[in-house]
Amino acid sequence: MEILQYSIRKLFSGIPLILGVTFISFVLMVYFGPDKTYELLGKNPTPEEIAEVRVQLGYDQPFVVRYADYLRELATLDFGNSDSTGERVDALLARTIPVSLALTAPGFVLGNVLGILLALFAAYYRSTWVDKTIMASAVIGMSISFLIVIIGFQIIFASSYGLGWFPVRGWSVNSIGDYFSYVAVPTMATVFVALGYNTRFYRSVLVEEMTRDHVRTAKAFGVPPTKLFYKNILKNSLIPIITRIVFSIPLVIISGSLLIESYFGIPGVGKITYDAIVSGDQPVLKAVVGLTAILFVLAQLLTDIMYRAVDPRITLK
Amino acid sequence: MADNKETPLLSVQNLIIEFATENGVVRATDNISFDIFPNETVGIVGESGCGKTVTGLSILGLIPSPPGRIVGGSIKFMGRELVGLAENEMRKIRGCRISMIFQEPMTALNPVFTVGNQMTDVLMRHHGLTRRQARDSAIEMLAKVGIPAPAKRIDEYPHQLSGGMRQRVMIAMALSCDPKLLIADEPTTALDVTTQAQVLEQISKLQAEFHMAVVLITHDLGVVAETCRRAIVMYCGRIVENTSIEHLFTNPRHPYAKGLLDSIPQIRSRRLEELPIIPGRVPDLLHLPPGCRFAARCPRADELCNEQIPTLSPAGTHADRVACHHPYAAEPAGPAS
Repeated sequence: MEILQYSIRKLFSGIPLILGVTFISFVLMVYFGPDKTYELLGKNPTPEEIAEVRVQLGYDQPFVVRYADYLRELATLDFGNSDSTGERVDALLARTIPVSLALTAPGFVLGNVLGILLALFAAYYRSTWVDKTIMASAVIGMSISFLIVIIGFQIIFASSYGLGWFPVRGWSVNSIGDYFSYVAVPTMATVFVALGYNTRFYRSVLVEEMTRDHVRTAKAFGVPPTKLFYKNILKNSLIPIITRIVFSIPLVIISGSLLIESYFGIPGVGKITYDAIVSGDQPVLKAVVGLTAILFVLAQLLTDIMYRAVDPRITLK
Repeated sequence: MADNKETPLLSVQNLIIEFATENGVVRATDNISFDIFPNETVGIVGESGCGKTVTGLSILGLIPSPPGRIVGGSIKFMGRELVGLAENEMRKIRGCRISMIFQEPMTALNPVFTVGNQMTDVLMRHHGLTRRQARDSAIEMLAKVGIPAPAKRIDEYPHQLSGGMRQRVMIAMALSCDPKLLIADEPTTALDVTTQAQVLEQISKLQAEFHMAVVLITHDLGVVAETCRRAIVMYCGRIVENTSIEHLFTNPRHPYAKGLLDSIPQIRSRRLEELPIIPGRVPDLLHLPPGCRFAARCPRADELCNEQIPTLSPAGTHADRVACHHPYAAEPAGPAS
């Protein structure tokens, strides 16, 4: 009951955030984005034809009306048809979001799980060669450009110059085997890049927790070091860990990974977002921006509820 | 006193602990030696940074390392050498044979686990109890340290308890495995005065009940006077005086100990403006003088003090030991042994 009340309050308090994000993005789209009128017209259009297209696109309406329309669309989750392809925006997202999810989820999960494990090792063996090796590798992973990693991994794992184990590009989920072969190289590239950042972040969180008084108390009462880590230190460190993980979920769902999708030719939501930005496809952009904002509000709510589960000192008020 | 002829429970000999800092190696304790006998309460007194906490931590092998390190000396507990003892052996002693309680009960207990969870863990580990048995035992302990409604309190989190209550929980946890030695590091410093008195009283009561020795680390001479039978006064990493409470308060022999006593405010008999202080400052541990560390501040210092470090007078038949070239004379009226 407490959680339900809190959730409703929290969702209402998320409305200003959604308004702010959508307003700013919409201003940018309308006044600074590409104008689609001439792209849709043939050569030498008459003024009547131009006016007709502008009406179709809704460009003839004043800004306030258009923004109000946007909010209505967001509330009903009906964004109409894409200006470029004429496909329904909801159909477009329903087609591409699962692809992006299937593409990024393995890398996201592996990147975080491995990151936490490596961080635990590094923190446990703090300032020994184990720690130093892990941290040095993390810095190397962070320093190499994502592009280089993608291309390098394509050459190593997917091309005839290297091992040639996986297809270079494309996407298919007809069978588990297909899915695995197409997702393998993108996942490895994502993990390679994310792991460094994650490990460093999680290690610093764990090391900070290790210096707390209650850890010294636990030691003074004979807690063995492994238990000290998985029970005392890990649970106390969960708040920053949860924050980091939950807040990256909206990005994983909505933007997918633009670079990965374009380099591996994968028809995900990152790809259509990029196309929509370049061509000024406002219905698609409005949907993506609005949904991202909503997901962030939901993520915020989710983290708060999870904090409560982890730390008894936190009350939902 | 008969106690002094017994074998000591804990015997620290020439303990040297060093910390590596950015500016060089600092010696936190320098050749300290003392014995703790069964069933006695001993205060280790000194100002911040004199090495008293480090001494306490070293007994349990809890010196943070790096940067800290035991460079030399020995710590014998019930005849067993603790310096260099393997971690897994040391863990069997921690919280079981020797317990420690800490200054800040809010941060010393883990905030995300219930009192019961933390207490039963200790009991299950050291006594091999089941969770249910451990819980019963923990409730019993909480009742012993004077926590009302222990069966209810055991499921609460540390932040739901008051400061005094939390320190009682710490004490209950520390005593749950029936230790032979309790090290209490400033157990009452974070508490208000009334709670302080209650907690100290509780420690004294339990000390008799559990037949354990207590090492009370504090900077508060009042606390020492109330609870201890013997006091070890530390200054700059060295023991300057090791004496009975009566002698410390009536006839301190080391000038530093005398200075400390003289600077206790006496509300009725002396005006606060006339409160004597010890002149000068504590020397930087990185640049210690070659001779006595107190020489620069000492009214009795001479050439010898600046050149040679005074050593603790041998125990012999006297309970009182002092590390000074020119100690105040022992009062003839109060025989030392």
